[in-house]
Amino acid sequence: MQRRTFLALGGLLVAAGTVGGWTLVQRQATPLLLSARDDADGNHYAVGYYLDGREAFSTRIAERCHDVVPHPSLPLAMFVGRRPSRESYLIDTRDGTLLQTLASPAHRHFYGHGVFHQDGDWFYSTENDTTDPGRGVLGVYRLQGNNRLERVTEHPTHGVGPHQLLWLPDGETLAVANGGIRTEADSREMLNLDNMEPSLVIMDRDGTLISKEQLPEQMNSVRHMAVASDGTLVTGQQYEGDPEHAVPLVAIKRPGQPFQPFPLGEVQRRAMHQYTASVAIHSELRRLAITAPRGNRFYIWDLDSTELLLDAPLPDCAGVAASRDGFVVSAGVGRCRHYDCRGSRIVTEYLELPAGFWDNHLRLA
Amino acid sequence: MLQRTPLAVAVLGLLLAGCGAEEPYTRVSAALTDGVLLPAYTAWAEADRQLADSAQAFCAGEQSLEQARASYLSAHRSWSALQPLQLGPLSENNLAWQVQFWPDKKNLVARQVEALLNSQPQLTQAELDKGSVVVQGLTAYEYVLFDPNIDLGDSAVQQRYCPLLIAIGNHQQALSSDVLARWKDEDGMQARLHSFPNDRYADAQEAVSDLLRTQVSAIDGLKKKLGAPLGRQSKGVPQPYQAEAWRSGASLAILAAAVDSAERLWQGANQDGLRSLLNSEHSELATRIDAAYADTRQRLGALDQPLGQLLADEAGRTALNALYDSLNRLHRLQEGELARALGIQIGFNAHDGD
Repeated sequence: MQRRTFLALGGLLVAAGTVGGWTLVQRQATPLLLSARDDADGNHYAVGYYLDGREAFSTRIAERCHDVVPHPSLPLAMFVGRRPSRESYLIDTRDGTLLQTLASPAHRHFYGHGVFHQDGDWFYSTENDTTDPGRGVLGVYRLQGNNRLERVTEHPTHGVGPHQLLWLPDGETLAVANGGIRTEADSREMLNLDNMEPSLVIMDRDGTLISKEQLPEQMNSVRHMAVASDGTLVTGQQYEGDPEHAVPLVAIKRPGQPFQPFPLGEVQRRAMHQYTASVAIHSELRRLAITAPRGNRFYIWDLDSTELLLDAPLPDCAGVAASRDGFVVSAGVGRCRHYDCRGSRIVTEYLELPAGFWDNHLRLA
Repeated sequence: MLQRTPLAVAVLGLLLAGCGAEEPYTRVSAALTDGVLLPAYTAWAEADRQLADSAQAFCAGEQSLEQARASYLSAHRSWSALQPLQLGPLSENNLAWQVQFWPDKKNLVARQVEALLNSQPQLTQAELDKGSVVVQGLTAYEYVLFDPNIDLGDSAVQQRYCPLLIAIGNHQQALSSDVLARWKDEDGMQARLHSFPNDRYADAQEAVSDLLRTQVSAIDGLKKKLGAPLGRQSKGVPQPYQAEAWRSGASLAILAAAVDSAERLWQGANQDGLRSLLNSEHSELATRIDAAYADTRQRLGALDQPLGQLLADEAGRTALNALYDSLNRLHRLQEGELARALGIQIGFNAHDGD
């Protein structure tokens, strides 16, 4: 190909991206890390950094965000407001332009998580019906003009206090972690510790309940999860009961099997201090990773054999996502790490990203 | 294969020109390790060795109760001095419970010691080592030596409790020497605090951050240890039995050992501690932190009665509340202004997740 032709073609692609309103998301050789982050003064930002350290954007936002949801094909990402925020932010990931501050409707607030449907037209988020505090709602939004979400309808999440939601591999069926905790508008106070109802719900995106399963311990809040390409689903729990109780802080639902505890070593279970944060699965390498910020530990297991492969100190660890070769992990303090899981020995790499102040979750786009 | 300490460490884009031994954070991390942390862990292991010897000698009739009590107090003080220095193997393996059982809200120590000795009158070391943490540590040892219901002058009583004293002494000695060995291992904490990057720290800044965070969180812990008996979590009603080491009346001596050790981390053994990282623009902050330590020390020194007695009257409670406020100022200064001046994040995911 002539150099001139190549350049022209490149120009066309850029033009398509800026004028036509749709574009190919350039699958960068260096992925873009998306996360909520603070500065030393406690201001909140939606940020994007390439893993080689280049800053793509850092956009000041009014409220603290939780998870980030990259669009499947457009250079967009939703930074979802953290409970009980009533705002989420639609960001252009090329330059950080804040395209829309999405307000939740009356008597609803965000819980911090959402998903884009695979066709790119629909966004779903977990929300609280504050007229019946804790009643889980799936907010349904439609993407308009590639820069704006409009609320269309809502469905129940068939549970209380929903938190993370993810697609099963068909891209049409949702898994919802109903944390089981009732909270009111403008508050994070837990109202029903004596009567929690955590559950894992599988539902169609039209709202139809497919299954609802519970772990035996009523105070074991199912909060975060990851889904492998074969449909294996792993959840991380936060236990609100006695610090000494031995409860399953990680659970797994393999295809066609019931939701059940994932076997943890006693040393690891204790070290977690009843609290898991982010969960990620590397589908090709069949690895499971979880951050435990109260224990200041980061773990990697073999998803199939459940063998523990890594138990590393990582103060105030936060988000984790599968990279091509392993996992990228962020932390509220210190540098982000990459754990290369290809070989027989996991290799720790320190990323040239700004240190610290990384909030709970991260995504690679 | 479980990798607790991945050996291979790669660094992406390592461009740390001039990052030699003289880099200030590297210098301070190494100096504190050699001048403050290792000496404290060594002193603890030594005090536990003497504790184990003392248990044997006391039970053989070669040591008085007073001497045995002094050995316990020395072991507890040296353990308390580790509180602001508890990073690495101690905190990560949940070992602290084996050394001290606090808070003991339900008097489990007394109940479990008695139940154990009723069921195992000829208690062996192995039985204690695999038993409950409640009876393995200094709190159980203190109960035996100081509880008014246990008259160790009576030989039958001494015979009942001696197997436990000896087993606790040995358990503590083994535990502290094991922790010290792990500090000194080839890839132990000492090495990791000396050269960077390693499998634990990306750079010296991370190591110093870990040191400051551990210290700040220990000072916060001291507030809780003083606040609980003061009734700060119980509507102002004093709870003398919620104090550490209330049976021996050593609560304040133990607190003082922890404060001293926190201050050593700040000053360094040779003026090479966290303080030395502050540049001249922060000299006023350094002076205020010096003054905050001096204030806490003076208030502690002025308390001439055990905590339990001070809790019993208004003047005592006022003095203790003033001490609490002093600790609180120290905590806030270091957690806020010092951390910021040093570019250290205390972190929020651990306390404020979702």
